[in-house]
Amino acid sequence: MTPDRGDVTYGSLGLLVLKTLDALGPLHGYRLARRIEQISGNQLALNQGTLYPALLKLEQMDWVSSKWGLSDTGRRVKIYSLTRTGRKQLAREEAQWQRSTGIIARFFNITEDPA
Amino acid sequence: MSRADRDLDAEVAAHLAEAAEEHMARGLSPQEARDAALRDFGGVTQVKQVHREMRSYTLINWLDIKLGGRMLVKYPGLTIVGGLAMAFAICVGLVVFRVLSLFLHPTLPLPQGDRLVEIQVIDLEVSDEEQQILHDFLQWRQSLRSVTDLGAWRNSNPNLLDAFGDSRPVAVAEMSAAGFKVSDGVPLMGRVLVEADEQPAAPPVAVIGYDIWRTRFGGDPNIIGRIAKFGNEDVSIVGVMREGYEFPVAHDVWMPLKTALLDQTPRSGPPLVAFGLLAPGESMKTAQAELTTVGRQVAAQSPATHQRLEPRLRPFAMMMSPAGDPAGGLILYSVYVFTAALVILICGNVGLLLFARAASREADLVVRTALGASRGRIVAQMFTEAFVLGGLAAIVGIIAADIALRNWGMSFLEVNMGRLPFWFDLSLSPATFAVASLLTIIAAAMAGILPALKITRGMGHRLKQTTAGSGGLQFGGVWTVVIVAQVAATVIFPAIVYLMQTMVSGIEDFHAGFPTEQYLAVQIERDYAVFAGNEDAGALERNARLAGTLDELRRQIASRPGVAGVTFAATVPTTGGPQKLVEMAYDLDASGAAAVNTNDGEGPLREATVAAVDPSYFDVLKAPVIAGRGFTAADAVTTSRVAIVDQSFVEQVLEGRNAAGQQVRFRYPGKAPRPWSGGNASDPPGLGDWYEIVGVVPELGLGAPTRKGRAAGLYLPAAPNLFVQIQMMVHVPGGDPMTIAPQVREAVTAIDPSLRLVNVQRVNEVNNDVLWVSRLWVRITAVLSSLALLLSLAGIYAVLAFTVARRTREIGVRVALGASRPRVVAATFRRPLLQVTGGVLIGTIVVFTAAILIRNTEMAGFENDLTLAGMAQIVGYGMSMLGVCMLACLIPTRRALNVEPTTALRTE
Repeated sequence: MTPDRGDVTYGSLGLLVLKTLDALGPLHGYRLARRIEQISGNQLALNQGTLYPALLKLEQMDWVSSKWGLSDTGRRVKIYSLTRTGRKQLAREEAQWQRSTGIIARFFNITEDPA
Repeated sequence: MSRADRDLDAEVAAHLAEAAEEHMARGLSPQEARDAALRDFGGVTQVKQVHREMRSYTLINWLDIKLGGRMLVKYPGLTIVGGLAMAFAICVGLVVFRVLSLFLHPTLPLPQGDRLVEIQVIDLEVSDEEQQILHDFLQWRQSLRSVTDLGAWRNSNPNLLDAFGDSRPVAVAEMSAAGFKVSDGVPLMGRVLVEADEQPAAPPVAVIGYDIWRTRFGGDPNIIGRIAKFGNEDVSIVGVMREGYEFPVAHDVWMPLKTALLDQTPRSGPPLVAFGLLAPGESMKTAQAELTTVGRQVAAQSPATHQRLEPRLRPFAMMMSPAGDPAGGLILYSVYVFTAALVILICGNVGLLLFARAASREADLVVRTALGASRGRIVAQMFTEAFVLGGLAAIVGIIAADIALRNWGMSFLEVNMGRLPFWFDLSLSPATFAVASLLTIIAAAMAGILPALKITRGMGHRLKQTTAGSGGLQFGGVWTVVIVAQVAATVIFPAIVYLMQTMVSGIEDFHAGFPTEQYLAVQIERDYAVFAGNEDAGALERNARLAGTLDELRRQIASRPGVAGVTFAATVPTTGGPQKLVEMAYDLDASGAAAVNTNDGEGPLREATVAAVDPSYFDVLKAPVIAGRGFTAADAVTTSRVAIVDQSFVEQVLEGRNAAGQQVRFRYPGKAPRPWSGGNASDPPGLGDWYEIVGVVPELGLGAPTRKGRAAGLYLPAAPNLFVQIQMMVHVPGGDPMTIAPQVREAVTAIDPSLRLVNVQRVNEVNNDVLWVSRLWVRITAVLSSLALLLSLAGIYAVLAFTVARRTREIGVRVALGASRPRVVAATFRRPLLQVTGGVLIGTIVVFTAAILIRNTEMAGFENDLTLAGMAQIVGYGMSMLGVCMLACLIPTRRALNVEPTTALRTE
């Protein structure tokens, strides 16, 4: 039984992970969590632990891959990077997101006389 | 701990260390930094748990089982109703499996049981077994190589005169010595039979069974060498078998099969059963091939008799199976199908209940999905919950099945089949537990997976709607079908109980017309058949001797204190005599042809129930002769052509005409000396002799409560020695007639030890077997129907509660907007009302159709039940069923109506 693809990025955490890895390259779990918080301007207070089930799911979907490496501080950590299929998925999700927000944005931009 | 677990631990540890380091860099103390890192991370254990859950591909995990257990406690009503229902389904499945496997997959509890075979001879012309196989058997014994230790046996039932002077029949197998070898028969004392015993000149010997030794010889330690009287023969006892030895089928005593003394011409001699062991390395197939070849050789030697005979091999234990008989096999398999249908229906209902429960937990499931649980995980979880319930149910079901099989299983089979073969064992076997597990898995799948699939369909879609928890989920068409079928079943089952109960009361209340509790009925059997085809001088002489014996018996028993009279009849009252078509002299038109009317036709009845009775019969039964005269001793000769009819005959056949002097004859007369015997309707109608009706008596229970219609009795006088079955009836007016039974036994033993007494019972108890089975059926159907009722109510309640809960907001808004309560009630009730009405209608239609069909069959006891009153009761039941179902709808509806509009709106 394959999970519904829409389920995975639902709640946006998966999408955020994909986009972050796309933009910043391979990262280990803690760095990834901090980057997401920082990019959001610390508006998003993650329960950092929830990142790991999300990463596992993305791995199971083959959208990210992981390998053991060393962190900046010399610790042995698992480093996650985006795969080719992950990059395609991200492009799809991004287009969809832009489309939906674009529609909503147009409504917010309604003026009295569109002409 | 798995590698993945260790990896995650390392990963989480690194995460926490990195985080703590960063916090320390901001000036926190190591302890504060560590606490802060943990706080940022959230629940470490939960994350690991979810992670592990997501990794595991096993269908069932320990967490789900724990959750399932908690659900059982949280919803006790569902646990009890659903659990009982599943337990019942499993119990029924097991009982059916256990009983049917006795016939379909029997196993012999013998070391070489799997190699033991029976050799049958089939007459292809009539598709029936030919049992006169001595000729063939001797040939097989000479030439067969693939089947070794060939032996045969024949059954006999001689009286054994025991150490206490008691004479009762025992089950004797006249068996080849090979029988002891193939069955691993080891004697407790003495020896088993050997081939030397089979020599014509060998002295008569017997080996007795353990039970016979204990009960009939008081466990005499010096039994070996004692002489016992079997019938009229003195036999020396040479061995006692160990307890439980009953080979070949259900035998107590073994005597040598002296084949040399038997008729060895092809297709003659006594009926025999042949057996042997498959030789090492041989299979049924190879052995059958050899047997077929040997069979052809025998057929070539005796083409006249063996043209259409074919020897066949089958596993020994299959001799009780209808496997060779397609109709019988079909019935057995249809029982399987019926049971499967029942199990599916019940589990479908439990599924309905679990679905309602799951629906009430929809919000919870949505959250789980959001946390990353896949559809597969949720389905597996719900399956596990159902499986936990099913597991408990299985334990209850197995215990119940064991109790049922122990208490009623064997008795049920014994009532239907007589003494059971030694390999019939209804205790629970490993196979039974395997079936129980299978049933549990099926039940859990039905009850867990189906609702889970239904509820998780489109979960992702529902997640995207922020209004999770309302709408979307609906009971679909499948559930409607389940509910309708359920309600229909609740109407059908009680109707069956009702009909069965009426049948039982019919048997209990059947009025014989005389005080049956004062009469003892004793069936007397002799070793030889009377008039079995050829009436040679020997048979006539034996017959004359029997007449004398019976007379002497009558004289001796009648002289005992307490006995008011002794008489004989060919059938015991209330068990139903042979029914024969009759013609009245006044029926005949000029051409001599007559109209025939049986029970089901219009017009006067032309079918009589015939009884041959001793001339003293009416006197001993204290039955007054209403008109004409009774029988006299002079009537009991084979040339006499007089008859007495009962009141029912006068009313139904003669239609009130004056009986005396009327001429009646049988359309299909039996053999000359026994005109009361069956007669065969496929024979060309013979113009029998005319009988003159000389008297009329009251109805004396000539019909049977198990038989359709009111019997029209026609009595013929005869000497009891000519009866096919000799039933002696002893009138004991004061006290229990059973107390006279030992004296009857004693008298019979004294006069002729070869006569066997079977079925010694009070006349009012002759239908007890039928009653027992009927009562068992009533009990079973009563349990079934209460269960169906309970399940149905629970199901309907669950559906309605669910529907109302779904529509809480809608109802609240409607009420807030001022909708009238009746309208809301109508809207709520419509669907369940339709379902229940549909179910009641279908059930009633089925009951009425079945009733009409039954009415036209020979099934007894029903024809009186479908009176208007009976139908009204069934309809009334259907109506009350509807009422009860509506009652089940009441509480949820009340709850819905009492919902505050604000509450309703807040639930979003």
